[in-house]
Amino acid sequence: MLRYAVKELVKRKKKYALNILVISLVVVLLITLTSLNTAYKDASKLPFESIHSSIIVQKNGNVAENTTGALVSCSLAPIKKDLISNIKSLDGVSEVSYGLSLWVFDEDTFKRVLGVNWDDSLGRKIKSKIYVGSLPQSDEKIIVEKTFAQENNIILNQKIIISGEAFIVAGLSETSGKDIVSSDIYANLKPVQEMAYNSKNLQDTETFDRSDINIIFVDAKQTKVADVSEELDSLLNKQDSFSGKTPTGQKIGSYSIYTPESFENQISSIFNISDKIVLLLTIVILIGTALILFKSMAHAITERKKEFGIMKAVGFTNKDLKKQLTLEILIQVIVGFLIGILISLMVLFALSGLTVSVNIPWELNPYPHFLASNPSSVNTIQTYPLPIQFNPQQVILPMLSILIISFLTIHILLKNIGKLKPMEVLKYE
Amino acid sequence: MNELITVKELSKTLGKVKAVNNISFSINNGELVAIQGHSGSGKSTLLSLLSGLEKQDEGEILFDNMKIGNMSEDDLALFRRKNVGIVFQSFNLIPTLNVVENIALPLFPTNINKKEMMAKAQKSAESVGLKDRLDHYPNELSGGEQQRVAIARALINDPKVLFADEPTGNLDSKTGKKILELLQSLNKEIGLTVVMVTHDDSIAKVCDRIIKLKDGGIQDE
Repeated sequence: MLRYAVKELVKRKKKYALNILVISLVVVLLITLTSLNTAYKDASKLPFESIHSSIIVQKNGNVAENTTGALVSCSLAPIKKDLISNIKSLDGVSEVSYGLSLWVFDEDTFKRVLGVNWDDSLGRKIKSKIYVGSLPQSDEKIIVEKTFAQENNIILNQKIIISGEAFIVAGLSETSGKDIVSSDIYANLKPVQEMAYNSKNLQDTETFDRSDINIIFVDAKQTKVADVSEELDSLLNKQDSFSGKTPTGQKIGSYSIYTPESFENQISSIFNISDKIVLLLTIVILIGTALILFKSMAHAITERKKEFGIMKAVGFTNKDLKKQLTLEILIQVIVGFLIGILISLMVLFALSGLTVSVNIPWELNPYPHFLASNPSSVNTIQTYPLPIQFNPQQVILPMLSILIISFLTIHILLKNIGKLKPMEVLKYE
Repeated sequence: MNELITVKELSKTLGKVKAVNNISFSINNGELVAIQGHSGSGKSTLLSLLSGLEKQDEGEILFDNMKIGNMSEDDLALFRRKNVGIVFQSFNLIPTLNVVENIALPLFPTNINKKEMMAKAQKSAESVGLKDRLDHYPNELSGGEQQRVAIARALINDPKVLFADEPTGNLDSKTGKKILELLQSLNKEIGLTVVMVTHDDSIAKVCDRIIKLKDGGIQDE
């Protein structure tokens, strides 16, 4: 019967080309749609991937009246260090790291300064980017980011002044200029905390204690990120009323909790495809496929009525006919699928050349947007190559859908063939 | 001779016309029988009832002591596969299959292995003189050759009876004669029972017995 099925498809290839084409097209459309949808979702997580963290916690604070001296970046309020032990005790949290991010408006130049612990995950990540020199062994030693060093002609062992304090360049790092946690200068946490504590402008804006920090990175198990995020929200945002709002609409005193998922809505692209649109398109595609395949198969079967009459006359039962037709459909589905997957791979390869823009929330942007002297400072959008890839699991939906449509079609059409009497089509007299 | 087919008070109505009207007769093993009559006399309807392609409205058909009128559609299909070979006037070959595959068609739904199936089909093709045309497709064959393929297909299951509906109707007289000789030789040499529908007196004359139909009834036997 397989031989007959293969010959039928080969000898009448033009007749079955439409079915195979439709199946291929459905496979391409569904795989491309789901891949794009997944890729855009994955893209939203890229800023987090670059810092190897799952959740970022920040507290929204007041905006300084003027830009002089050291200020907490992004109008972030100081966070008490005691909070770290509470966060560490949450179920699903594997590691917590923290830092203090400052904007230092010195007369000669603007500097972003990040105070870190070199032993936690944040410190280790920065440490891995040092390409010349060594880790700061004392509080007066710092690491300078490569681009900043080049723009300001800073070299190893040079002494530079930050907010009135002298520091020695112990090493140079190569971190992405637009990363969420990237900075121009990385230093031990303690001297940065001292710098913040001693800044009159900062203290006029927020009350800062010597041990305060302003950014917390929480590493959580992938499956627990949503739960940890919820727990953090209920732990940190207990207060019902807040005193006011930041320029971007955040409640002053409230904590912002960022996860890869919370970034999804931040994607700015005309290609943004939501789950609902994908679902709707999938339904439309499958209904269209069902109609086309049904019509095409019904037509093919009507044309072969005489053949079915002959087959029944020589002893094929209805079950035999069903087996024969199922084989023919199965071959079409397999061929259509293989072609579809091949084309999908080519389409996905072509789409991998696209880029996706992720809008970093102002609070997380390492650059002060108002600092027009730095051209890159106003850019809160990060561009990444679209992380589109072929996932074998994406084949399951189109495969099941096509098989169900095909076998339902056979089942319906076979009812008519079952009633077919050989004599009616073979016409004796 | 043993009775192979026994027909009792058989009737079949097609639309408003009683195509077969209360007829009774029997066919013995090894007989070459002609069913003759003018167009519309009911001869093809009778053949389709005898071969299990149609079910009667009234009466009974006993085929080798089996009541085929009570069988379901699928049981009738299996009955045809095991017991009868049918040859049509218009050959009725599958255009996408070559000669050997067309001959093997009745074996496709069986569990017989491919090698054995093809060997049987080749043997059947040889028995009708188509040894050199095995790989040809129906559209590459003459009418006579196509009818030989149809006969070989009908013989592949070693049937108890071969039903032929106007087997020479679509052939020229010379080719028709050869087909008739082939059917005769199958009857004489291997003792195959052949029941043939024809309106041609010259064909009917070579048969052991002629059942003449008129308006659905037996006019003469």
